[in-house]
Amino acid sequence: MQQMIWVALLLAFVISSALTVIYVKHESRVLFSELRNVQKKQDQEIIAWGRLQLQNSTLATHSNVESRARKKLKMKLPETVQLVRLP
Amino acid sequence: MSDTDSQPLFFGGRHYFVLFVLLCLLTGLIGRALYLQIVEKEFLANQGGQRQIRTIETPAYRGAILDRLGTPLAISTPVDSIWVNPSEILQNLPALKKVTQKLSINYSHSVDTLRRKANKEFVYLKRQIEPELAKQVSDGIDGVYTQREYHRYYPAGEVVGHLVGFTDIDDKGQEGLELVYDNWLKAEPGARRIIRNRKGAVIEEINQVRAAQSGKDVYSSIDMRLQYIAYRSLARAIKYHAAKSGSAVLLDARTGEVLAMVNQPSYNPNQAKKRVSGQRRNRALTDVFEPGSTIKPFTLAAAIDRGLYSPESTIDTSPGWYMVSGHTIKDFRNYGVLDLASVLRKSSNVGASRIALSMKEEELWQSFNDYGFGKPPGVAFPGESSGYFRHFTEWQKLDHAVMGFGYGLAVSITQLARAYAMIANQGRHVDVSLIRKEPEPEIENRVERHVMSAKTAKIVLEMMEQVVGPKGTAQLAAVPGYRVGGKTGTAKKSSAGGYDKDNYLSVFAGVAPISDPRLVMAVIVDEPTQNGYYGGTVAAPVFQEVMSNALRILDIAPDDISSLQAQIADKEKGA
Repeated sequence: MQQMIWVALLLAFVISSALTVIYVKHESRVLFSELRNVQKKQDQEIIAWGRLQLQNSTLATHSNVESRARKKLKMKLPETVQLVRLP
Repeated sequence: MSDTDSQPLFFGGRHYFVLFVLLCLLTGLIGRALYLQIVEKEFLANQGGQRQIRTIETPAYRGAILDRLGTPLAISTPVDSIWVNPSEILQNLPALKKVTQKLSINYSHSVDTLRRKANKEFVYLKRQIEPELAKQVSDGIDGVYTQREYHRYYPAGEVVGHLVGFTDIDDKGQEGLELVYDNWLKAEPGARRIIRNRKGAVIEEINQVRAAQSGKDVYSSIDMRLQYIAYRSLARAIKYHAAKSGSAVLLDARTGEVLAMVNQPSYNPNQAKKRVSGQRRNRALTDVFEPGSTIKPFTLAAAIDRGLYSPESTIDTSPGWYMVSGHTIKDFRNYGVLDLASVLRKSSNVGASRIALSMKEEELWQSFNDYGFGKPPGVAFPGESSGYFRHFTEWQKLDHAVMGFGYGLAVSITQLARAYAMIANQGRHVDVSLIRKEPEPEIENRVERHVMSAKTAKIVLEMMEQVVGPKGTAQLAAVPGYRVGGKTGTAKKSSAGGYDKDNYLSVFAGVAPISDPRLVMAVIVDEPTQNGYYGGTVAAPVFQEVMSNALRILDIAPDDISSLQAQIADKEKGA
């Protein structure tokens, strides 16, 4: 009788462990596909980041900034006599 | 009827027949199952694997090269290349037509090419395009695929071309920092084994064969703001004087970091095909020249350091020339009796060579060697030159004499800048670096060895200030509001058979501000042919423009406010 109980108990363990394996496997696939999606997104963000960096450095080239400041905004360096020393 | 209810019908033979058939089928199934599971197992598993398991590459990026403030000088961004399988795509010509339109390439031409390569499985249609466009093109069309690649961009273009260098198509460093720090920058793509479903979507990762290793970023010592100004200034001077080439180096006097290093002619590393090898050389490090008068501060320093001369000593330079082993050493004109500061200010060759001859050959050699002449700057740059400086045992008497004013030895402009930085740094040795350094301890707590006493360095520095002063040869180097010192040089160019008559090198090296030196800059212009050729008229204005901007940009406080106030007062009186 006691033997039977043990067998039943082990059987229950085996079945529940099998079910857990199935569940975990499923879970891992779900999580993996999520990971893939995130990685894809990361990849896109990296592409965008690179593009923005390039765009930024192209637009902010020092020669570009300088010519705009001088021509469009009519900026210039103050001459010595225009300097004011704060106490 | 109750009998038939309780007693199941039994059809004898028929019953056994059905049982037998079922048993046969079962045996067959079990047999087949055993066959597949045991005998064929490996083969089938393999076949299944081949259809589902793939090894894919995980991308890794080459590290970026940045300036000291983080402005990108070289960055890798992903691009896609479009490739096709000719046998697949040739069966779907309308699709191909659409693809070629989107890629703006010639349709009939590509069809011809693909027909010729019909036996191949992999043909590029277009390389390195924007990932977004690639996705539009390849989505939903069989036989058109994309491949991830990386393109290296150099946003600053030719302004830092020489320093940053470039990579080849395989992303390996070929020149400049890209080559020097290739091991640090380079990326190792990883590999993973994955399971795909029927639609090609990845459903599970089996294992990682190799972890992806992205390259590490390199922070160079360059300050792009100063680099740009130096580049612009030098380019303008080269053009104005119709010169052959030129270089300029701006150093942080305290740390030896290179804040700007520019050369003319330059090249754009983004345009791979237009790279002409002569333009690719980083002349500031690779080319050497006879420094001429810019060496004089060191001749004086060596003599003062040995106690042979003091700032008050005088030298009789009349009649403005004298003979050494059959050669004449002469000055521009007869300067008569000069003190040491005037030797430097008037750039007297006679004075400088007399001072050189007052030292033993060995002593002069030892001092110049200590100052770094003949030693490479030590930045591990490809083609970096250590200059030319013979051992004193090989000197003739004439060598000994002309060494005092910068002939008979050759240095790169970076070596010259390093030597001036040593004077600016209270006589301490300075390590030149192209890489941003960690913040340094205060100057008083440094441990670098002195190659010149602090006292001598101060004396020489103040003498150099007079060169830029109202009676000096480099008045065009003066920066309003700051005490600036330096030395001009106008060296005759040597060629096979002697010194050329009309070919000059115009050099200027200087330090600012004198009261607490922060910046050192050396400029060389090679063969100026128009609008003058003196170091004071060609190279000094470049120094002045870059230095005045650098002092302002780096927020270095003026140390000569009284002169500014005097100027303002003058103007107001006039107005």
